[in-house]
Amino acid sequence: MPRPHQNLITFSVDGREVQAPENMMLADAAKLGDVEIPVFCYEPKLGHPVGACRMCLVEIEGIPKLQTACSTAVKDGMVVHTQSERARVAQQAVVEFLLINHPLDCPVCDKGGECPLQDITFGWGGGKSRFIEPKRHFRKPLELSPLIAIDRERCILCYRCVRYSQEVAEDYQLVLLERGENTFVGTFDGHPYVAPFSGNIIELCPVGALTSRPYRFRARPWDIEGSGSLCTLCPAQCNVTFTVRDDRVLRVLARDHHEVDDGWLCDKGRFAYQAVHVDERITAPMIRDGGELRTVSWERALAEATSGLRRAGAKTAALAGGGATNEEGLLLGRLLRDVLGSPHLDSRSGGAVSLADWRALSDPALAATVSDLEFANAVLVLDCEPVDDAPILELRIRKGVRRNGVALLLASARPSALDPSATETLRFAPGRGAELAWALAAALQDGAVDAPAAAAGASAEEVRKLARALREAGEEIVILYGEQLLDGDAGGLLALADALGIAEIEGAGLIGIPEAANGRGLREAGVLPNGGPGFSAPPLGDGLDAAAIAAKLGDGELSALYLLGVDPLRSFPDAGAWEQALEHATTVIAHAAFLTPGVREHATVIFPAESSAEKEGTVTHPDGRVQRLRPAIGHPGDVRAEWRTLSELARLLGGAAGPATAAGVSAELFASVGLYNGLELEELAGHGVRWPARAPAVARSGEAAAKPKLRRAAQAKGGRLLLGSYRSIWAGPEVEASPALRFLAPRQRVELSPRDAAKLGVLHGEEVLVSDDQGELRATVVLRDSTPSGTAFLERDLARDGANRLRGPLVEVRTAPSGNGDVETLLGEEELTHA
Amino acid sequence: MSSLLLMRDIDEPGLADIAVYERRGGYKSLRKALAMTSDAVLAELDASGLRGRGGAGFPAGRKASFLPKGDMDKYLVCNADESEPGTFKDRELMQKSPHMLIEGIVIAAHAAGVNHAFIYIRGEYEEQAKILDLAIAQARANGYIGERILGSGVSLSLVLHRGAGAYICGEETGLLDSLEGKRGNPRLKPPFPAIEGLYGGPTLINNVETLATMPHIIEMGGAKYAKLGVSGSSGTKVVSVSGHVTRPGNYEIDLGIPSREIIYDLAGGPPAGRQVKLWFPGGSSAPVLTAEDLDVPYDFDSLAKAGSMLGSGAIIVVDDSTPVLDVALKLAKFYRHESCGKCTPCREGTNWTVRMLERIDGGEATPMDLDIMASVQDHIIGNCLCVLGDAMAMPIGSMIVKFRDEFEAHLQSRQLAGAI
Repeated sequence: MPRPHQNLITFSVDGREVQAPENMMLADAAKLGDVEIPVFCYEPKLGHPVGACRMCLVEIEGIPKLQTACSTAVKDGMVVHTQSERARVAQQAVVEFLLINHPLDCPVCDKGGECPLQDITFGWGGGKSRFIEPKRHFRKPLELSPLIAIDRERCILCYRCVRYSQEVAEDYQLVLLERGENTFVGTFDGHPYVAPFSGNIIELCPVGALTSRPYRFRARPWDIEGSGSLCTLCPAQCNVTFTVRDDRVLRVLARDHHEVDDGWLCDKGRFAYQAVHVDERITAPMIRDGGELRTVSWERALAEATSGLRRAGAKTAALAGGGATNEEGLLLGRLLRDVLGSPHLDSRSGGAVSLADWRALSDPALAATVSDLEFANAVLVLDCEPVDDAPILELRIRKGVRRNGVALLLASARPSALDPSATETLRFAPGRGAELAWALAAALQDGAVDAPAAAAGASAEEVRKLARALREAGEEIVILYGEQLLDGDAGGLLALADALGIAEIEGAGLIGIPEAANGRGLREAGVLPNGGPGFSAPPLGDGLDAAAIAAKLGDGELSALYLLGVDPLRSFPDAGAWEQALEHATTVIAHAAFLTPGVREHATVIFPAESSAEKEGTVTHPDGRVQRLRPAIGHPGDVRAEWRTLSELARLLGGAAGPATAAGVSAELFASVGLYNGLELEELAGHGVRWPARAPAVARSGEAAAKPKLRRAAQAKGGRLLLGSYRSIWAGPEVEASPALRFLAPRQRVELSPRDAAKLGVLHGEEVLVSDDQGELRATVVLRDSTPSGTAFLERDLARDGANRLRGPLVEVRTAPSGNGDVETLLGEEELTHA
Repeated sequence: MSSLLLMRDIDEPGLADIAVYERRGGYKSLRKALAMTSDAVLAELDASGLRGRGGAGFPAGRKASFLPKGDMDKYLVCNADESEPGTFKDRELMQKSPHMLIEGIVIAAHAAGVNHAFIYIRGEYEEQAKILDLAIAQARANGYIGERILGSGVSLSLVLHRGAGAYICGEETGLLDSLEGKRGNPRLKPPFPAIEGLYGGPTLINNVETLATMPHIIEMGGAKYAKLGVSGSSGTKVVSVSGHVTRPGNYEIDLGIPSREIIYDLAGGPPAGRQVKLWFPGGSSAPVLTAEDLDVPYDFDSLAKAGSMLGSGAIIVVDDSTPVLDVALKLAKFYRHESCGKCTPCREGTNWTVRMLERIDGGEATPMDLDIMASVQDHIIGNCLCVLGDAMAMPIGSMIVKFRDEFEAHLQSRQLAGAI
């Protein structure tokens, strides 16, 4: 659907001539003339207005009854009075009605001081109450969920939270129960409202009815300051405001950015701030001394690191991930390449992609923006699960489908939460996204589909059907893909983009979701085995990729490993190989906030990592938007800026002394990374700058050169199942460390189809052992109807029993021996219960 | 005195059976209508001057003509959620002459170019629902519903849906939400149902009596029907008379006859020795009239001029044996119970009104509370999402104005009783 065209009209509000886009709702249009019309239920982000609260009644000349400004589209020549006697009487009446049953417990209400009901009462209310009857009472406050408290006495029944649940998050959990004055917001049978995006209702609530339980009674608005920055827990990089009191983060609010998050946050982004201030967090440098970790001074830690790195020299390798900034990536590259003479650094766990392909994938002509997801003719979600990989994008996709009729096409190995919204879904074998891209490209060009489809483990007929849907959807097609599919081969994806002619079409393009929150930025800053800053040729030639680094550490050809914000033992595939690698490395230096297994067992030096609330620098969004992180609080304990540590190490090892300020490093980044040339920190301001928007298209050549590299998918046999894995939205040490979120931290569960479960004789909720020749782990069985038969899905990036303990491709699932005291059931889990 | 149309055969034994209905001339109008173009049928409806019998009195022909032309899915919904207190005309029509309604539905569907029709019947009408289900099956078997009805190009599906007992589901958009399987809450208008109604498609919603009148209009011709009744209120109307009358029941009248004739001559007036104190001319939502208004002609415009409305045509008579406060309290409690709670003035205002009336009845009020109560009614009227709030505020407001002295006396006597 094309973006709506806007026609300007002129209307009059309270005697002012105002220009506004035609058909804009009066409540919004009046603002353009600096006239505020009070609203409670109206919130354009929730879709069509409902006109429930009646707060925005205004008088419009020529219409006998008062009209709700929230639902009246402005027309040329309209004459509106918001302050006529009739309008004022009606507005005062509505305020009076709203307050008769409101407890007016403002002095003890978290919302007090930042409450629209207070503001509107003050601005438009009559100032006195004539209601002397007893007020309505409910039990309060109640847990709507472990994260949200509900006070039904304060609720003014504006419908916002219910509409959000029904029409934005589409989790369909919140409803209105009973009717009339007994109406209340609740869930079916009082089940807790647990969902990936539940916390947004706290911000939507115009009164103190829905409050954050972690924030409850922590501060009043006059105690706090807001500090704008970014959430770097996932690649979606939502814009946030940290609420700070006494140098502590007490709350995270959305900072509406239409091109990034549309004003929403996921619950991880909203509540994981608690991990900033927990005792488990590492806040001082540590070294391993006689096998034990102990806290030391910075001088000692730096000396230890320097000597280890000096010994290893070119035999050092480095990995970066997590929320590491572009600047840190640049400095890490310099430390490795310029100071230590080692070309071995990576920011991805998959096989290296050629530099030519990286350049091609970053071609501005192929770039889509986040808002394109909302207005495209079709969105192809390819080998990713948005709610897990970049949660907030899921809401954008749902919005496009619901409001603009975007056709959603889904191709994934694992069933997706978006399946019910999709017009086409296709399943293929885990880890064969690249092959599927080749198959789709072939189908679009009427080429041979059978071979690539078979390699992808998909039906050729379904591939053709999906290709047909793509062809018939219209020109504007956005492909949202998981970068994990670029495992050594980007050719299929590029061929698919070419077959669709995406480069030529405005509003069409690619968005890749990287594994790491700043995966794109780190790559562009040069943290690649085969690419320097801005995809320049690496000065020392190609280095080893992550898997090869593990192998070479294991057999002693490399001796030191530098870990910037990543623990490969926890989050990279093949934990067995990394166990070996870390075991054999003589020096392991880690920037870490938590003692994850690889750090706890193997690090020789630990530098305390900053949280995103403390960091300064830039990160790059998957759509190429360079965004700025600004520190909201000072560093707790002995934490130091990580860029400073990287600089200091380089200096101690005889390298050049870098810039002395964070801004200075950013300036060097913009100068060193060709793609970022010309950017300035100031212009990033609160909204960032998409570099592809100002860069010319890259001329590509030798299209026909790419030939499919097809790896044939394995097949389930002999009772063994094909292994797939995914990283849940709730994975990550931050969730495990946040008291409020801990209940969501995943334990290993194996998703099976009911058919396979019946064959294996295992039940939903049962504890099983999943094994291959590499290892074995415990998991709880979860049955999903939509899981393809012959496949088992496990979670990655867990505190223990992560999927990377197994190598696959086939695994065995069997009942865990009984009598183990560790057995817990999944009773009460939100997923589903199959009879 | 009265022309009988809807109730001409109403007491014919077995009329609910299709054979009897056909023998009495049933479905002839449908054959006639199917031989006409839909525009011609629409023109007859227009010419008849028929105004909606559900309460709002909107011209039925014009309403049907609002539906856009075209091939999209369009719907006809028969509103059989007869919930207005005092109203029981549709019940008798559906129970005794279900085929008249079905015939009217097919005619209206033809006129509006609709292929899918629903009857939304209130849950309490269980017996009527059974009768209608049977009648629909008979009509289908005889080819009056289904594909290519009677060999014409007109096709129609008809489904009966039972409500679950909420006054608000009689409000047309609340009905649509309920029919779609949602909570029955009124929708914001515009968009009006004619443009965006059931499942987002253009939808024509008519009351049972309105639809049941259509076969008669086709039979006699719109122009002839228009001659019945008075100008602006053509035709006949089934009036439900209840309350303090000796012969309560449904009476079909020519619109425009004096109200006194209905209350006294047809319904027998109040029991001997008692006087009419007040009466609701059009269901419990209508502002009350008093004995002084008994000679007002019973038609849409005259009743509006008298400060009330014809509404659903349900006359509720209250005589001097009942305190006005009891009437007000009963009424307010009903609307408080039935308010859906979606919009603020209705949800809070109905509750507040009940509390104040209870306080007056308990002697814990002052005359100032009557002023507050009157002002609360003013604040509800015209400010709500749908008309439910007004439906309480208009009659209560009118009672406070017309019976202020009695309210004050009531209050005073209760205060005295409390003091003793």
